[in-house]
Amino acid sequence: MSLELLLIIAFGGAFLVYFLGKISPKLRDGFAVFISLLVVLIIASIYGKNIEKTFYRGFLGLPLVLRINMLSWLFAIVISSIGSLSVIFSLSYIRHEEKTDFYYLMLLLVNSAMLGIVLTGDLASFFIFWEIMSWTTFFIICYKRGSALAAGMKYIVISIIGSMAMLIGVLSIQTKFDTLIISELSAKFASASSGYILFILITFGIGFGVKSAVVPLHTWLPDAHSQAPTPFSAVLSGVLTKMGIYGFILFFYFIVVLNQFLGLGPDVFNFHYILCWIGAITIVIPTFIALLQNDAKRLLAWHSIGQIGYIILGISIGTSMGVASGIFHMLNHATFKALLFLTVGAVEYRTNGVRDLNSLGGIAKRMPVTFIGALIGAFGIIGVPLTNGFVSKWMIYKTLILNTHPFLAFAALLGTWGTILSLYKFVHHIFLGQLPEEFKNMQKAPFDMQFSFIILSIVIILFGILPGIPLKVINSIIGSAGFSTLNISIWGIASETGTLNTINIFTAILGVGVIVWLIFNGARQTKKVDQYDNYAAGSAIPEGKYNYTVSFYRPLDRMIRPYLKDFVDEFYLKLAEWSQSICDGIRRIYTGYVGDYVMYIILFMTFLILIQLKWSIF
Amino acid sequence: MNIIAMFISPFIALLSGMFFLGISRKIMARLQWRYGPPVIQPVIDVIRSFSQMSISHGSLFDFGIILSLTGSFVLVLFLPIGELCPFTSGGLIAFIYLMLLGPLGIALSSAAAANPNSSIGISRKFLLSLAYEVPLLLVFLAVMTRYNTISLVEIVKIQASTGWAFGSWTLVLSGIAYFLILPAILGVRPFEVIKASQEISSGPIAEFGGKHLAFSTLQHALHMFVGLALFVDIFLGGWTLFGLLDPLSGTLWAVILGIVIFLLKMLVVLVIGIFINAVYPRYRIEQAMKYLWKWPMLLSFIGLIIVVLAT
Repeated sequence: MSLELLLIIAFGGAFLVYFLGKISPKLRDGFAVFISLLVVLIIASIYGKNIEKTFYRGFLGLPLVLRINMLSWLFAIVISSIGSLSVIFSLSYIRHEEKTDFYYLMLLLVNSAMLGIVLTGDLASFFIFWEIMSWTTFFIICYKRGSALAAGMKYIVISIIGSMAMLIGVLSIQTKFDTLIISELSAKFASASSGYILFILITFGIGFGVKSAVVPLHTWLPDAHSQAPTPFSAVLSGVLTKMGIYGFILFFYFIVVLNQFLGLGPDVFNFHYILCWIGAITIVIPTFIALLQNDAKRLLAWHSIGQIGYIILGISIGTSMGVASGIFHMLNHATFKALLFLTVGAVEYRTNGVRDLNSLGGIAKRMPVTFIGALIGAFGIIGVPLTNGFVSKWMIYKTLILNTHPFLAFAALLGTWGTILSLYKFVHHIFLGQLPEEFKNMQKAPFDMQFSFIILSIVIILFGILPGIPLKVINSIIGSAGFSTLNISIWGIASETGTLNTINIFTAILGVGVIVWLIFNGARQTKKVDQYDNYAAGSAIPEGKYNYTVSFYRPLDRMIRPYLKDFVDEFYLKLAEWSQSICDGIRRIYTGYVGDYVMYIILFMTFLILIQLKWSIF
Repeated sequence: MNIIAMFISPFIALLSGMFFLGISRKIMARLQWRYGPPVIQPVIDVIRSFSQMSISHGSLFDFGIILSLTGSFVLVLFLPIGELCPFTSGGLIAFIYLMLLGPLGIALSSAAAANPNSSIGISRKFLLSLAYEVPLLLVFLAVMTRYNTISLVEIVKIQASTGWAFGSWTLVLSGIAYFLILPAILGVRPFEVIKASQEISSGPIAEFGGKHLAFSTLQHALHMFVGLALFVDIFLGGWTLFGLLDPLSGTLWAVILGIVIFLLKMLVVLVIGIFINAVYPRYRIEQAMKYLWKWPMLLSFIGLIIVVLAT
């Protein structure tokens, strides 16, 4: 299957879905699922191929190149699978909304544009696909109108700034090297000066950093994630932010080569070391801001930024295990964050849009599959052993500690502890505790929603117990980037300085668990009691809801809240305000009187004549 | 050897953990001029709990407590007890992560009970663990950076040849920091905010009775054992005692005596800790957090800087 056909199916399918929706919504739903699953199958079938194909029929005299290698294959499979799960999840979620045809069109277009980004082999079409991704995303974020419009506006403004920075980079490369083909660029960059490389990395880095929401370019993300329709939040957080990561990996290790990348700048002010610290800041501060949130999706959105920090830290540390851990964590984050967002979507769907953590509770009894999904997702993002998050985080810590970066490792570990607290809060407030009266008759999630939870949960556990499966792909990626490959078995990673063997952990937990379970079952049987049958130390139990949810972590909250304002966001908003008032002032000169305009012309002419009289330059 | 260790070490951990629980109650009582319960009182309590009928709030309530006891037993399997260490995968980093299973299990179980007292207790548990984990992680990082390994067995081995970490000038500050936060890890005075029976009727375990209570007591005992054993392994050289066992090395006697020495060291640490802490009243949770983020944090931070400068 050739790559151009794949892209034609993806893009053409999106438009076809739109027109089918005009005929019959049922047909549209079925076809949307069919197209997205077909794309997954096609991508799965081209595993392991290395194709590069040039079309000289491109525009502006630039060749259009499509290519696939291990790196783009990994990203493509993540994009298409998370994309198709979110399409399946949307079936029930979006059914009763307006303009569903438009929603499906945009959702499928975003997925196709992201496929285009990873499958393209030259920077011109890279930029075009990037822009398609940006504006289609804008339309879905604004889909719900109202406050979503402001979030979308924030997103598109920051996104355009990023794209412009990227465009400068593209133009500069074209004028300097006279080619935009990625596979030819690494040879050209080999002779480039380090100043020029730094310039290119920074211009592109702003573009990528905006998309992947690296601090201080993250401010669009919490608003956009919480306002977008939830199935799209899963794509946004799981995959779309990873496009920036793809760009970073491509530029750091495939366009600029490894030694050049590590050699940019003197010792402590080395570019990659500064990037590591940016990653560390991106982990710690957003994770603790997440702890203070009371909106389920906003909490997860801040965690998205935090987890991106781990990936940035992993890929910019520049050791083979570090880069492998960054790529692995990218994959893992796509699975568990998509799962968490989708479970929130299911809860939102059944409670008619309640996302406030303080008004939910006890839903585990009504939506057991959703609860198990959320629990596995939470375990994954925390990194509890036997989930995939554990393996990738273990790799990050190990490479940081053994390369004597204990403070970076500390930031990463601290982020994990913040994650534990806020994810426990998330699970506890939504699913545990007492079930409020108004949700007594709640039904469990529809099957198409449960399907996504089951698939993602299986992937999280599977990659946690058998990390060798994804690590094999990752190993060949880092091999092609010029790193020494890791010694990987299906059960984990072997090395002289500490081996991770998930089979050990798995058998230990399973064996002990079975024994403990047998003892538990062998002991005297218990009596099942109602949720209100509680021990209250002699006090009467009040009727109705008496959950402990509001200000769950109050002492910590009081301690850290003053330090955790989003100063960057405030700064940008101030900047926007200033520029608006300056432009307002400039606007006043357009009075609408012809006399004023004539006066401007005369004044300008006088100004020019005065200059001519004084310096005579014209 | 490993197969035998797999069965022996949980038993050693459980027995000595129960003994530590008993002895700490006894010592506490004598310090307060009371007679106190017999040392085997916790064992009696567990047996009695098992014989009693209990209530259950659903399958998550049961699953959580099973998970937490499982997590604690698994921890013991990954911990060098004397020279026994059945599993070594992942080193100290994996160990830190495995330490999560116990608290998470208890938290899930008591949240499923839907008792607000339990929820308050869990909230305190997580806050306290965040408070002590921050300096504790700095301590762990200092040790791992100093010895340039992530393996617990390696850390003990290096100390056998170069002397205890607590005695070396690079790690002494980290060791003191660990000793200061040890009562918080063990949840004893003055950090018994989680259970605080007078305020929130035993917190997380408010709804537990019968076998659930027995399981949570066993979990507490194992947790106590792990907290102390980790300190002995990392800072007091594990089973080593000034080369006393060198002539016996390789024999079965060395292994057995190694375990005995290891347990004795733990007892000494525990008793000293109780003597110091028994006289303090209980902190409030925010006081506990402020304390833990002040002195232990400062010491462990300086300790890590010293280690980075020295290596």
